[in-house]
Amino acid sequence: MEKRLIKKDVLAGIIGRIAGDMNLFAPVLDEDNVLFEPVKDGNTALANYKNTKNAPKAFFFPRSETLMRYARKEKGMEFAGLGEEAGQAVLFGVRPCDARSFALLDLLFDQEKYKDPYYIDKRGKTTVVAMSCTKPPYSTCFCTSVGGSPTSADGADILLTDLGDAYLAEFLTDKGAALLKYFGDVKADAAADKKKEEIAAASAGEIKTTIPAREIKAFLDANFEHPFWDTIHRKCLACGTCTFMCPTCHCFDIQDEVKGADGKRIRNWDSCMFPLFTKETSGHNPRPTQKERWRQRFMHKFRYYVDMFGPIACVGCGRCVMSCPVNIDIRKIAQDISKL
Amino acid sequence: MQNPYVPIPVVVSKIITEVDTKDIKTFRLSFLNKEDEEKFQYIPGQFAELSVFGKGESPIGIASSPTQKGYIEFTVQKAGQVTSFLHEMEEGTHMGVRGPLGNSWPIEFLEGKNIVVVGGGFAFTTLRSLINYMIHEDNRKRFGNITVIYGARNPGLLIYKDELKEWEKRSDLNMNVTVDKGDATWKGREGFVPAVCKEVAPSSDNAVAVICGPPIMIRFTLPVFFDLKFSKENILTSLEMRMKCGIGKCGRCNVGHKYVCKDGPVFSLAELDQLTKEY
Repeated sequence: MEKRLIKKDVLAGIIGRIAGDMNLFAPVLDEDNVLFEPVKDGNTALANYKNTKNAPKAFFFPRSETLMRYARKEKGMEFAGLGEEAGQAVLFGVRPCDARSFALLDLLFDQEKYKDPYYIDKRGKTTVVAMSCTKPPYSTCFCTSVGGSPTSADGADILLTDLGDAYLAEFLTDKGAALLKYFGDVKADAAADKKKEEIAAASAGEIKTTIPAREIKAFLDANFEHPFWDTIHRKCLACGTCTFMCPTCHCFDIQDEVKGADGKRIRNWDSCMFPLFTKETSGHNPRPTQKERWRQRFMHKFRYYVDMFGPIACVGCGRCVMSCPVNIDIRKIAQDISKL
Repeated sequence: MQNPYVPIPVVVSKIITEVDTKDIKTFRLSFLNKEDEEKFQYIPGQFAELSVFGKGESPIGIASSPTQKGYIEFTVQKAGQVTSFLHEMEEGTHMGVRGPLGNSWPIEFLEGKNIVVVGGGFAFTTLRSLINYMIHEDNRKRFGNITVIYGARNPGLLIYKDELKEWEKRSDLNMNVTVDKGDATWKGREGFVPAVCKEVAPSSDNAVAVICGPPIMIRFTLPVFFDLKFSKENILTSLEMRMKCGIGKCGRCNVGHKYVCKDGPVFSLAELDQLTKEY
């Protein structure tokens, strides 16, 4: 693996040069929010930020995406081509939790059978440059409880770590190595590796919250029916914000839209929190109340995904905890379950 | 990479109104491109997304058998947006099909065994596919005795009426068609499906029961088969859930960690016992 040391004052120049050659998205201050936006036309990548308000999953799995277009012909609507193809892009400054969400989504969208060509196309054309958290940005961070760490390289092509006086750049994949020329030629030495290890340990140690994410699996396996499930959903408004903000939530709806003689089939983010999500035409709904929907959301992350793929479908970013309007806290649910 | 979201173009080559109430029709679809027909290799029990541009898609079991060449058939009840639109369609209309999707009736498992097919009402479509597959001259020897118990609320609601008559003439098929309540012209059997199952009392010896029907029928039919000593491994059924993608991604048809669209729709009762009760 190639490793480079980059003086701190040259990073902005590196970002600028890459952005000059291709679409580069980085955390940018947009009013009061930090969002992933294109670095061009006066938009500058932030050097210091906690994390972006929204998870970057939308780059591979957009909120709304055209799957195909069709046109009205004499004998009915006929296929008229796919949606737009994605271009090459660089996502710069992705936090390790969010980069890990890509690795988790890969498991679903890039299975051996039934590959999702839209996701795979964008994922393949995008280089992910992750930025280690040398200090966990929020009190709600809990990546270390769900298989991640503030310096995890999962899902990233390049990992940058702030060593104080310079950045250590680790080129983890071929896609990452293709950007090597932008990063100068100062090779990282063993001292840099050692420093990174120290930072990694210190940063992980600063994470305040731990949750028994693996430990509760046995309870979840045995207790699909349990009085506990009657307690967590009561204040839920079914607004879907948690699933909207979540880096790993990936449920979608498919809808047709027609304008005149042209139509398109689009997919939109959907949410297991919504009553209509599983409601059948007959009126039957296998998840009739918010209780079953909450159980599904929690079980999907901590039991079903584990059964299907191994990892927990949560990266510990804390967005759902911070954005829930009624303060439902997934960390507390896990902790409460472990006491049952 | 094959795009699993793009439907295969087909033409509606025949429409058959199945029932007196006219809200169940069978659509025969023929492929517009010959190579698509060759690629569409399916097994009884699988389903496909019927795709009407402008309206959307609806997951429907394949009602034809792969032994019927040149077309595929779907029997559809008029219910929501897509199926209502289908019911308004005329022969010659172009539409799309995405599939085949899902697992299937486990043909290899069924081979060499006596097969009891139990259907109720409109949930007889993939059972019809299975029956036509098993009784085809190339396949009949591969299966033991075949018993069919099929019921509807009244004679007018039986689907595949002509085919039922043909099947009743066969000596290698034990047909038991019943209606909850007959009418002036009905000369056949009257009685609910569970009661008829009890009466026919198929032996569980080297036998598998394949059961599809409305939940109320299933609930009362299963105890009959338990009494006949059918094991849960040897009772199969097919689940229905709301679906969109059909390929285990969109996240709405899961029962526990199994997706009905790709791990199902066919499950044995033994398998269902391992799953959460959420369907």
